[in-house]
Amino acid sequence: MDQSNDRVEPSSQQAAVESQPMNMMATLAICLGGLLVPGLAHVIIGKWVRGLIFAACVLVMFALGLAMHGKLYNLEFDEPLHAFAFIANIGAGIPYWIAERLNLGIGTMTFPSFDYGTTYLWVCGLLNYLIVLDAFDIAQRRKP
Amino acid sequence: MILSHFTALVVFGVIVSTVFALITKNEPRDQLRYGIFVFLSFLAVAVVVGWIMYPLPL
Repeated sequence: MDQSNDRVEPSSQQAAVESQPMNMMATLAICLGGLLVPGLAHVIIGKWVRGLIFAACVLVMFALGLAMHGKLYNLEFDEPLHAFAFIANIGAGIPYWIAERLNLGIGTMTFPSFDYGTTYLWVCGLLNYLIVLDAFDIAQRRKP
Repeated sequence: MILSHFTALVVFGVIVSTVFALITKNEPRDQLRYGIFVFLSFLAVAVVVGWIMYPLPL
């Protein structure tokens, strides 16, 4: 009887620990990592297949956006509405800063796929925000 | 790189529906079904809106 109790207790303790939400500071640090590197947050919390798929989706979309001569927006105070495009763009994280450093994403308005490329660049950043929120929920045990 | 309108739409739909399916559903079967539903919805809505806009003088 005692032996069976000994067998049950560790697994129930482990289940209790796994159902505990992660420390908030650790969660925020993981989310910051996910903002900088798409998919990294899921990889850190153990959902590495999901994280790799997310990383592939965001990075492929970002690369296609650049290949289609899309524009990456900077924070320009003389064009206030560009702030929204900038917020969408920086959601891609480090790839955005690398592309800026390499002078990619200048945007050629006369190029036929300029609009598509720019939209791809916006959407991949916005998707990464959703991905980070998903990682936050998983770390806080709000979803499996 | 120049993609046609439809190819750009298909690529966009595949990527976005994949992310949506993985975020909103937990079981692989549900993810697959929801991803296909969102992808086909993207295509259908784009075609319908395209035909609605066709006669407009834009």
